[in-house]
Amino acid sequence: MPERFPGLARRLPWLVLALLAAFPLLAPALGLEYYVGFVRRVLIVAIAASSLNFILGYGGMAALGHAGFIGVGAYTVVALVEAGVSSAWLAWGSAAVLAGLFAAAIGAVSLRTRGVYFIMITLAFAQMLHYLAVSLRTYGGDDGYGLYTPLALGAWLDGAHAQVFYWVVLAIAAAVFALFSRVAHSRYGHALRGVRDNETRMVALGYPVYRLKLAGFVAAGAVAGLAGGLLASHNAFVSPSIMHWTQSALLLVMVMLGGAGRRWGAPLGVALWLTLEEVLKLYTDYWHWPLGLLLLLVVFHAPQGVAALLERRAGKEGAR
Amino acid sequence: MSLFRAEGLVKRFGGLLATDHVSLAVEAGEIHALIGPNGAGKSTLVDLISGLLPADAGRIVLDGVELTALTPHARTRAGLARCFQISSVFRNDSVRDNLLLAVQAQAGSSFRCLSRRDAEHALQERAEALAQRTGLAEVLERNAGTLAHGLQKRLDLALALAARPRLLLLDEPMAGMGPEDSQQMVALIRGLAGETAILLIEHDMDAVFQLADRISVLVYGKVLTSGDAAHIKGHAEVQAVYLGTEVAG
Repeated sequence: MPERFPGLARRLPWLVLALLAAFPLLAPALGLEYYVGFVRRVLIVAIAASSLNFILGYGGMAALGHAGFIGVGAYTVVALVEAGVSSAWLAWGSAAVLAGLFAAAIGAVSLRTRGVYFIMITLAFAQMLHYLAVSLRTYGGDDGYGLYTPLALGAWLDGAHAQVFYWVVLAIAAAVFALFSRVAHSRYGHALRGVRDNETRMVALGYPVYRLKLAGFVAAGAVAGLAGGLLASHNAFVSPSIMHWTQSALLLVMVMLGGAGRRWGAPLGVALWLTLEEVLKLYTDYWHWPLGLLLLLVVFHAPQGVAALLERRAGKEGAR
Repeated sequence: MSLFRAEGLVKRFGGLLATDHVSLAVEAGEIHALIGPNGAGKSTLVDLISGLLPADAGRIVLDGVELTALTPHARTRAGLARCFQISSVFRNDSVRDNLLLAVQAQAGSSFRCLSRRDAEHALQERAEALAQRTGLAEVLERNAGTLAHGLQKRLDLALALAARPRLLLLDEPMAGMGPEDSQQMVALIRGLAGETAILLIEHDMDAVFQLADRISVLVYGKVLTSGDAAHIKGHAEVQAVYLGTEVAG
């Protein structure tokens, strides 16, 4: 089928990026200053959701413990701040590395199971991390830990503009999105989808299926950890609730809503869900049920997610 | 020495002895057919050799290399590829993407994650050559799931061939095919004889007698006898348990 809007699909990402980059500058004039922080949160959650989409949508691994890695990232920042580290890059980088290491250990065990067992075992590991955080008195235990001084971005970045953290988050989110999009079309991306679609045949073709999955799981864990580190800075506060299993489930819901295995699935799902939550909260305390209704609608009318629906509209059926 | 030897393979499912100390040899360049009534344990044997099922006892040697302890994917890398009784292809992908995925497995690392795979000319050429020789060139851009049964079986075979096997395990390549598709498959398999040895499991007796250099008969998980077509046709016990009157025709 020919594209109905030639070129638009190629230009759209840049258009979105430009709008997002300009937003903090335009917001004061529009009276939307409050929403700069909101968009920053959407971007951070979208980073985490993109990493989940990578293993769930492309790799077929239904992990229900992704918030665990976000938590490892957030607590890495807390631990480093407590130890006197002030560099944001060092803290966020460490968050990614440590979460990657946790993902390697957890994945090495979990990926020996399939289906429901995999869901349960990833959930169990994440809950263990949650209770570990609860028991860490040094970092506030159940009450959480406040990060009162913002981390230093270094050089000219600090104090350049009130919203410099927003742009840093945007740049990281864009880089993560571009990276995953690129990987999706690489040898590794094709192999990962092959494992999702027909694992037995992949084994028969000679693919080291277990190692392929583990590599994806570790990469996703590391990116989720990075998101956790950013989230710690964003909230200036970290508590164990950040890795409660409901957070993992919410992340799954957002990815499915947007479209698992679709390039735009994760950011779309996150933006849609968080925006609706924000808007509905203005009108009612009972904002959960309209969101539930929306989810039902999507399940019945667009089981492949909103991204798939939009792709069909644009006449790009089958695009990934 | 034989190219491939399986020695004393045993597989138990609870109280059922599905594979009962089976020993088999396949010579280089040979098509060795394995026949037997339903439930004789033919598919189990293929799963044991390819490693999808762990054997309880026995050993497997290909070209002097012991494969027994290797994982299934490592066995493929060592030169042992297989087809599936029920076509196992990537149904949502085009035939081209199926073949690319298959040739990619044998051509360098699949952990390369930044360069675009479809831009690799060497892979595209190998995929197209594979399509050419298996008669899939006309349907390269079709979705594998929409192919007719006979074409899907051929794609299944093409995927196994991509591994450039020394020994190819064919699990009922003619299953469910009409006479025309069957004949094309027979011609295709015969054309492979020069480059790989083949262990062929097949119910279609005409095809077996046309193709096989040697035939082994499996009954209740045991090898009853081995020999050429004339030996099998003349074997009284084989006629009794399996061939019945089919041989006459």
